[in-house]
Amino acid sequence: MAQRNILAKKQFSIKSFFFQWEWLLVIVFILINVMNANISDYYLNPTLLLDATMTFLDKALLVLPMVFILVLGDIDISVASTIALSSVVMAVLYNLGVPMPVAILFCLLVGTLCGYINGILLTKFKELSAVIVTLSTMIIFRGIAYIILEDQAAGKFPKWFNFLSWGYMGKIPFILIVFVILAIIFGLLLHKTTFGRRIFAMGNNIEACRFSGVQVDKIKVIVFTLTGLMAGVTAIFLTSRMGSTRPNVAMGYELDIIAMAVLGGVSTAGGKGRMIGAILAIFIIGFLRYGLGLINIPAQALLIILGLLLIVSVMIPNLKGRFQTLRKVKS
Amino acid sequence: MSEYILELKGITKIFPGVKALDRVEFKLKRGQIHALMGENGAGKSTFIKVITGVLTPNEGEIYLDGQKISFKNPKEAQHMGIAAIYQHVTCYPDLTVTENIFMGHEKVQKRTKRILWKEMHEEAKVLLDELCANFEPKVLMGSLSVAQQQIVEIAKALSTNAKIIIMDEPTAALTKKESEELYRITEKLRDQGAAIIFISHRFEDMYRLASEVTVFRDAKYIGTWLVNEITNENLIVAMVGREITQLYPKKEAIIGEEILRLEGLSKTGYFKDISFSVKKGEIVGLTGLVGAGRSEVIQAMTGLMSYDSGKIYFENKEVEIKNPLTAMQLGIGYLPEDRQKQGLILEWGIGRNITLPTLDRCSTKGWMNEGVEAVMAKELLEKVEVKANSVFDLASSLSGGNQQKVVVAKLLSADLKVIILDEPTKGVDVGSKSAIHEIINDLACKGYGVIMISSEMPEILGMSDKVVIMREGKVTAIMDREQTTQELILESAMMNQADFS
Repeated sequence: MAQRNILAKKQFSIKSFFFQWEWLLVIVFILINVMNANISDYYLNPTLLLDATMTFLDKALLVLPMVFILVLGDIDISVASTIALSSVVMAVLYNLGVPMPVAILFCLLVGTLCGYINGILLTKFKELSAVIVTLSTMIIFRGIAYIILEDQAAGKFPKWFNFLSWGYMGKIPFILIVFVILAIIFGLLLHKTTFGRRIFAMGNNIEACRFSGVQVDKIKVIVFTLTGLMAGVTAIFLTSRMGSTRPNVAMGYELDIIAMAVLGGVSTAGGKGRMIGAILAIFIIGFLRYGLGLINIPAQALLIILGLLLIVSVMIPNLKGRFQTLRKVKS
Repeated sequence: MSEYILELKGITKIFPGVKALDRVEFKLKRGQIHALMGENGAGKSTFIKVITGVLTPNEGEIYLDGQKISFKNPKEAQHMGIAAIYQHVTCYPDLTVTENIFMGHEKVQKRTKRILWKEMHEEAKVLLDELCANFEPKVLMGSLSVAQQQIVEIAKALSTNAKIIIMDEPTAALTKKESEELYRITEKLRDQGAAIIFISHRFEDMYRLASEVTVFRDAKYIGTWLVNEITNENLIVAMVGREITQLYPKKEAIIGEEILRLEGLSKTGYFKDISFSVKKGEIVGLTGLVGAGRSEVIQAMTGLMSYDSGKIYFENKEVEIKNPLTAMQLGIGYLPEDRQKQGLILEWGIGRNITLPTLDRCSTKGWMNEGVEAVMAKELLEKVEVKANSVFDLASSLSGGNQQKVVVAKLLSADLKVIILDEPTKGVDVGSKSAIHEIINDLACKGYGVIMISSEMPEILGMSDKVVIMREGKVTAIMDREQTTQELILESAMMNQADFS
């Protein structure tokens, strides 16, 4: 048998380069900005635009690890409750006289622990799905937050704590800098490391991973714990922005976060998606909300637009598949 | 009345980009078992879908009882008395046997549409009795063995009063004894007047049952012969299109020192007191009936399952294998039985598939080096002669035999000393089969210790230096190549049932 030569280099094809979900997101992003600029004269003001990012970036921090979880083929709907619990713990500890830096440390710790619990439950009881496990912990974490603080608010944080969400470094909001740094770290982790590669593999075929010596349970626990930690980070920035906290804080965030990732092209079935898509989606939704807010469009109308955007975003890849088979049949 | 109950002329089916069937002919006589053979991808499955009305052919004519017909949908074909039993049993595991049998044609009261459970259970019972089944119609489908589920599928075919029954590799997942039972049922159906199309990779099925055999190759019709008129060699030539000189090329590998030894390995409820060893360059065939505990022993050796007692020695040192990773780090690799579910990520390029167990080799401190990765994959793919153009070709785009080669290449990427193969040629066509056998021999020659699980007697006899036979969780015999005969293996695998009662 003649030795075959198998190519090891990827052949560059212009068609497949431009035929990517992310380009569509770029177009949508530009369209939204053009639209916003047309409906409001105040929109294209760099300072205001940068300020606008402050309103949605705390939530966006959690989209980064959520992409990891969705790529794994799992889902975590307990993140908002984790934010609430860690935020409440931080506030209560501070009000009891614990120094703020220590309270912040506890906030991160509680978040990490919540994520770790999710991960352990999922890997020890394989018959439970991620939806069920995180639905249960979502209720439990929120419940604990209510027990700790009852239906009250806690706050009166030190002045410097406000800086986290309201402060600037030069002309750039501090939180934007944090977000950019974390986004780069998470993006590299997902796409350029063996860890990320294994996560994609697990999302595609976890059984094959087990047979290939990939330590699937360990990776799953790490990813969920990391998500918990990021929920803690989000809690810090969110509490800083609000100035005080309540047990019902961040209610419904989990759906916003998952919606952003899905709009970004991350498949909820696992194994597909890119960080850059999710990041584009964050800014699309964020700026859309800001722009419509400028001309006083009610929040309800905004929800409808977001819902439509989501349906279209899930539909288009399917249409693309149909279009391709159509072309194949013709040729 | 025509001589043929079913006649297909010049059937062509084109899928986007491929011709799945190219002017195919087929004639089925009344009361006959007709074998249909061909390599994977020869078009057999598409052909069946045409007969059962799942697909509509682009060209060609179908005659049923001498009358030209065309099916718009599977329901019409079912009404005309055509039923198919598929390769992988397509059942509803959480429903009862009765519900499975009557799925799609439930008995209902005409006016109120109430389901007539009692009547259905009774009729199911009659059907099952006719097939000599030893289970009740009210049990859940999922609690039955594959062989029993197969019988339910046949009962389903009978319940539609099928005149033509198509069986797509029904024996693939059955043991010898269960196959025997299936043969008996098939013959009974034939004697009752049904015409049967029997698809199988196993030659013994064909010799045992069929009176005529039709061969497809590369979507084309090759020919039809009477089974007692065609020789084994000619049939293989017809299927493969070339002669396979030696079915089991035994290269003499130099057998060296012992690498792996099991001593009294036990796990309650699965296996007991398992002891055997593998040497360098040796091929150990592990056989026994399905359910004898072969796969479980292997899973314990590779860390996929825990064991209660016993010891594993690797290069004369006692080792503890906690998970597949430690097994792999020691040098024990496992080629799983189900290559699509356990071996490959079908949506990925073959290169990435290969490097998955050994990502550490193409990365520095956790950072991937994709250039190194692609070159490593290319070399391994060329070594096992995979038919592909690039390391980025999707695994799903390859044929079964080539997929299996990719999984083998995946094992070669790691630094292994012992390679365990679980049914490496199951569901693989004759051509790829011999290629895989050659690779296994090559591995032995390179000094790997090889353990090969197989239910196929000729494969075990042809390939192994040593045969380990298991029955009901115990090793019943270990034989050298010279002593082994088919009869001896069967005896050790099946006899002395009384001991366990």
